[in-house]
Amino acid sequence: MRKRALLVIAVMALVVAVPACGGDGDSAEDTGTGKTDGTPVKGGILRVGSINYIDSLNPFNYIESQAYQAMLMIYPQLVQYAQGDDGLVIEGDWAESWETSPDGKDWAFKLKPGGEWSDGTPLTANDAAWTINTIIEYAAGPTAVAAPALAHVVSAEATDENSLVIHYDAPVGNVLAQLEQLFIVPQHVWEPLVGANGKNLKTFHPEQNLPVVSAGAYTIKEYEKKGTTVFIPWEGYYGEPSNAEAVTLTYFTNSDSMISELRQGNLDWVDQVPFNAVKVLEEDDNLVVNKVPGAETTNITWNSNPRKPKNRELLDPQVKKALSMCVDRERIIEVVFNGYASLVESLVGHIAGPMENPNLGPLEYDCEAGNQMLDDLGYERGSDGTRIAPATTGENAQEAHPMEYEVITPTSTDFNVDRSFEIVQEGFAEAGVKLTQKVGGDTTASYALETDDNCDGEASTGYATFDMAMWDWVGYIDPDFMLSVVTKGQWCSWSDTGWDNPEYDEMYLRQGTLVNPEERKQLVWEMQQMIYDNFVYTQLTNHEYIDAHSDKWAGIQTDLNAYSKEYWTSPYMVE
Amino acid sequence: MRSADYLIKRILFAIVTVFIAITLNFVLFRAVPGDAVDALRCRQCSPQFKEQVRQELGLDESRWEQYKLYVTDLLHGDLGTSLRSQKEVRGELIEPLKNTLPMIALGTLFAIVFGTITGVISAWRRDTVLDKTGLWTSLAFYSMPTQWLGLLMVLFVAGALGLPTSGIEDPTLGVLGDASTWDVMVDRLRHMILPALTLGLVLYGDYALITRSALLETLGEDYVLTARAKGLSNWAIVRKHGLRNALLPITTLIALSLGFIIGGSITIEYVFSYPGIGLETVEAIDQRDWPVLQAIFLLLTFSVILFNLVADLLYVKLDPRVVEA
Repeated sequence: MRKRALLVIAVMALVVAVPACGGDGDSAEDTGTGKTDGTPVKGGILRVGSINYIDSLNPFNYIESQAYQAMLMIYPQLVQYAQGDDGLVIEGDWAESWETSPDGKDWAFKLKPGGEWSDGTPLTANDAAWTINTIIEYAAGPTAVAAPALAHVVSAEATDENSLVIHYDAPVGNVLAQLEQLFIVPQHVWEPLVGANGKNLKTFHPEQNLPVVSAGAYTIKEYEKKGTTVFIPWEGYYGEPSNAEAVTLTYFTNSDSMISELRQGNLDWVDQVPFNAVKVLEEDDNLVVNKVPGAETTNITWNSNPRKPKNRELLDPQVKKALSMCVDRERIIEVVFNGYASLVESLVGHIAGPMENPNLGPLEYDCEAGNQMLDDLGYERGSDGTRIAPATTGENAQEAHPMEYEVITPTSTDFNVDRSFEIVQEGFAEAGVKLTQKVGGDTTASYALETDDNCDGEASTGYATFDMAMWDWVGYIDPDFMLSVVTKGQWCSWSDTGWDNPEYDEMYLRQGTLVNPEERKQLVWEMQQMIYDNFVYTQLTNHEYIDAHSDKWAGIQTDLNAYSKEYWTSPYMVE
Repeated sequence: MRSADYLIKRILFAIVTVFIAITLNFVLFRAVPGDAVDALRCRQCSPQFKEQVRQELGLDESRWEQYKLYVTDLLHGDLGTSLRSQKEVRGELIEPLKNTLPMIALGTLFAIVFGTITGVISAWRRDTVLDKTGLWTSLAFYSMPTQWLGLLMVLFVAGALGLPTSGIEDPTLGVLGDASTWDVMVDRLRHMILPALTLGLVLYGDYALITRSALLETLGEDYVLTARAKGLSNWAIVRKHGLRNALLPITTLIALSLGFIIGGSITIEYVFSYPGIGLETVEAIDQRDWPVLQAIFLLLTFSVILFNLVADLLYVKLDPRVVEA
């Protein structure tokens, strides 16, 4: 999902074949995979600091990565990731075991018994079946955000209190990886919201109706969107209980304050260390710094809506490529990420491991060649050096105009997007194109600027006014989600480009049904190539995920960030 | 003019100013193209949703009807409904105000006390090392950008003093049991110190410079020379003749700064993640929460007018000549 600033997860681990690295701090016993020599002590309050906030606890309407983290802590999931010998593997969360029917279309899950919602209602398979069926029913609207995880699902049924069967319309190759992104909500709380059209499923704010009814590892005692949220272990949780007696998640408007608090001992754990603070923290004897390959990629987002009325020259992949060739991505890595990042060409990012197409690009930094391409395409420079887009005729005719564009940047990124913009701006200026920054506000506000007021996927409206944005995505191990965000089905939900390509959409649906891993990989690579060739995004960087914690705590498994409840339940105090 | 006439005149002037401010506040938010709902940004902001909000806010009425509605609501203490939370704006602002006001009071008190003392000493010991030290220190703090000074506090002072740099309460306070009122108060105070100190130091420079300047001017007056000729000690001259007469500009400064510092606390609250009215303003801007922004602007305007009025009223006591003027 995206953190997009978007979605989710803040990070992660490279998966499968790439074991997490870490332990750059002086406390060598903690490797970021939770293995440590300290003597565990139960209890204590784990105080976590973050520059991301929890924007919502509604799994059908959220954007921020910290919201995903919070939902992971409080809502049951069928499966989750765990440490395997060679990387992360899927294991049961609420599900104890599962099996597939011979035709591969039915998945039966045996659920752990004894779970209970925090209001005392028993947690049963009915909750899971209702959640799944409801998401499917309103997938085109209110529940679209959660729908990608249930691609090809026809229905779900509870055969008894602890047994769930999910029916698919075809064998699906990534069922478990998809279901890992599904949060189960309490039927008795959410069903009355459905009404005639399900709209309230999207507008409901559980965080404004405390106590949130939850059945995961924690309940929420206090919620403050841009303050501190307090999580208390839930005694009705079906899994391994939390070692800490409570977890507090505090949002900081200023990362310097957060780092200062960590160094003073007022925080135990910072979940995303600003890149310019890494070295200082590594020199602190009382702290442990962990670095793992990250899931977050940054990009230039191009409005790719084919019905875009203005500045339509930006729909031409050749123009976008030429301009992108003037962006010094290595400089962004050095200046913005202090070297803790690498180049990336695919939307799915390095986190997708072998599913990331290694044959894309690479996009060369060669502004001379970029300028030549623009010259060849007929974009001549005006008297002030700014290129002019020539007049066009036909259905979407536009007058000749200087190539000057606004770039939306959100205020909620976990990297210095302003500095990143300046580097892109300088590059584009060399190409004779003027960029101005339009600060879009927080994630919600910025996303709304992209999609427009009249966003309606079925009516093909929206994505009419913006030209470009600079933002990020946080991908998943399985590339399905990231591949879904550019489909028409995600218009007004996850789509931030307005791209509308029926051929691609068909490929997206097909890749989910390929059970042969190699076949699926080939198709997934092809889809990435298509995204790349169309320059729906210009991929910039894939940065590392770096956290830091006090040496008074251990058991922190950095590479499980956003993948498992264990990420939160396993930390413990050491003597 | 009698004192009572002067007071009535000033109060009437303040009331008229308030109404002008209310009107400007109304016009300001409607002068831009579109309306508040157009600026609203949220994922569920469909045209239908916006139309509904537009009706709820009365934006589908004529401007004149909107103005009447706005003033009527204000007179009833109704500041509208937050677009973000769908709660009453008045209620939304109470908590941030309760957080901001003590912090500002603490910082301002610090600035008044130490700024005035520094200014008096500087003027009293003009051209000495004491004066120069006070002068340059004041100039330095006066010149510092607030957010920069705040960052210095975070980086260099917080650790040395063991003070928290963020928020308003220890996240662990009361988590595993009830915290006593005393614990809560001490915790709040600890969280308030750095933001208040930052504000106080910036204002300190201001107060010290004005006090010094006003006192120096007073000390050059003929009546001071007369006092000196009568054999009064330097300190007695400063205390009895100088400082009292220098109070006018100092009072003006205090009143003006009190009016403005609520707005000026925005950067401080952002640096320290302090959940006051400044951070609320940033949040409202971020989310295009127009009713909240309008209420905050109104609040800031009122505070400036109110403290100006207070200054005017104090003048009568401090310098009765203003009534004659």
